[in-house]
Amino acid sequence: MILEVDADVGRRGGFRLRASLRADAGRLAIVGPSGSGKTTLLDVIAGIERGRVVLDGLDLSRLPLHRRSIGYVMQDAPLFPHLTVRGNLAYGPRAEGVEDVAARLGIAHLLDRMPRNLSGGERRRAVLARALASRPRLLLLDEPFAGLDEAARRDAMALLHGLGDIPTVLVSHSPAEVLGLAERAVRLERGEVVAEGPSASLLRAGETGIDNFLVARIVGASRVRAGSVELSVRLPEGASGAVRLAVYAHDLILAREAPRAISARNVFPAVVRDLTDAGGDVLATLLDPPLRALVTADAARDLALAPGARVIAILKSTSIACLGGA
Amino acid sequence: MSGSILLSLGIGAMATLFSLPFAVLVAVPLARSRAPWATALQTLVWLPLVLPPAVTGYLLLWLLGPRRPLGSLLLRMGIPVAFDRLGAVVAAAVVGFPLLVMFLVLAIRSVDPRLSIVSRSCGRGPVATFLRVTLPLAWPGMLAGAVLAFARALGEFGATIVLAGLVPGRTDTIPLRIYDLLAQPGREGEITGLVVASVAIAVLCVVLAQALDRRHRRRLEVEP
Repeated sequence: MILEVDADVGRRGGFRLRASLRADAGRLAIVGPSGSGKTTLLDVIAGIERGRVVLDGLDLSRLPLHRRSIGYVMQDAPLFPHLTVRGNLAYGPRAEGVEDVAARLGIAHLLDRMPRNLSGGERRRAVLARALASRPRLLLLDEPFAGLDEAARRDAMALLHGLGDIPTVLVSHSPAEVLGLAERAVRLERGEVVAEGPSASLLRAGETGIDNFLVARIVGASRVRAGSVELSVRLPEGASGAVRLAVYAHDLILAREAPRAISARNVFPAVVRDLTDAGGDVLATLLDPPLRALVTADAARDLALAPGARVIAILKSTSIACLGGA
Repeated sequence: MSGSILLSLGIGAMATLFSLPFAVLVAVPLARSRAPWATALQTLVWLPLVLPPAVTGYLLLWLLGPRRPLGSLLLRMGIPVAFDRLGAVVAAAVVGFPLLVMFLVLAIRSVDPRLSIVSRSCGRGPVATFLRVTLPLAWPGMLAGAVLAFARALGEFGATIVLAGLVPGRTDTIPLRIYDLLAQPGREGEITGLVVASVAIAVLCVVLAQALDRRHRRRLEVEP
């Protein structure tokens, strides 16, 4: 899809969204700190707020919300409490294939239940199913997995991957979701678009919690190559070509000498490029691959870490998240 | 005595039924909009609540009196308003209107506004959204409001006596009848009867409204 949005929305309390963007991606993520206007931007696309919205050359700006065929899954979107799950899914005038959609989302057995008798995860699925059943030309997802536990989140992400090619705009705080679901991203700050590009490049260290993103080439059944280093990882099913890797800085271990007989599958020599203070701890950036390691100030002193120092980097396979195709 | 009670019930019911559609039409935009015109509409709707009822009655008489254009037109069409039953209905409806609208607004506002957005993003227009989502969820609350407004309409006095006058058998509702009896010595027994009936009707209405309100809350509840 090619999505163009021009919005100038003023809100009470002085917040103003002045965003202009053009993105060409099947799945686009909107990232940025809280209060940067991500949800307001979705509101503009959905037609709740005014703004120019052009989707694949079709100008939606003058269409009211209910004529846009945009499935908007708001954060914590409610189900209609007076309708069964089936009634919710079949609500829209264009809704069809309710049974199919329910089966794909794993809620076929819940169709005759009332929303009050569903768990949080089931409700989330029903909300997504309701949006999909109306055959939207564009799906807007606002923090669709917030509040789900890790297993449910993985399932839901796999589901979204299985939806095929419905163009999607995703707002999420989770770097794993953004990297796993969206090829490109738009970064908002204080109501303005500050960057647009491949999603990995738009996420910032610190804000995300994950401090390292790498693109790696697959070279074996569970081997990838990042820079000049080969790593042992667990590849997602069906991955081919290249993958994106995410590693927490605090999961990377540095040593002076190579340890012997160790469970970690990845032990490689590296050179320290620079050191930065990270609130009392030290963030050491390596040269190749450009990984950041978070160590205590005491450890940095004991290891005599300094720019140019040679170290051994140790990384468990299980600490590397592979986030789908790159 | 029973004549006055039945008359009151009939006039109160007519007034409530008569004003309900208009009240719904006004309450829907008032419940959701914050636009300047909504504020203006709100002011207009609240006016009968804060005006002395006698003033409201006088304004209605000015509009519907037998020698006024609208009043005489209605009279020629065989619809007498002033100093007749219909006048009592109009007076009760107008004075009770703000209260009814306020109850309806509260019932509509208690429905999660995100449901309307969800409904529209599923492709349903504003009218379909109201009929399929807001109304099914809000009606017990709206009905509770209508019952209370009906109970309140039974007590309308000031505007009624100005517009409808005190015509025995036609406009002497419970409060007007009590007022009439107070001027006559030795009618305390009848007054007591009317007071007891009034209290009984009021209690019944409040109990009914509360039951409807509980039902309303249950319908809105999603969590078990």
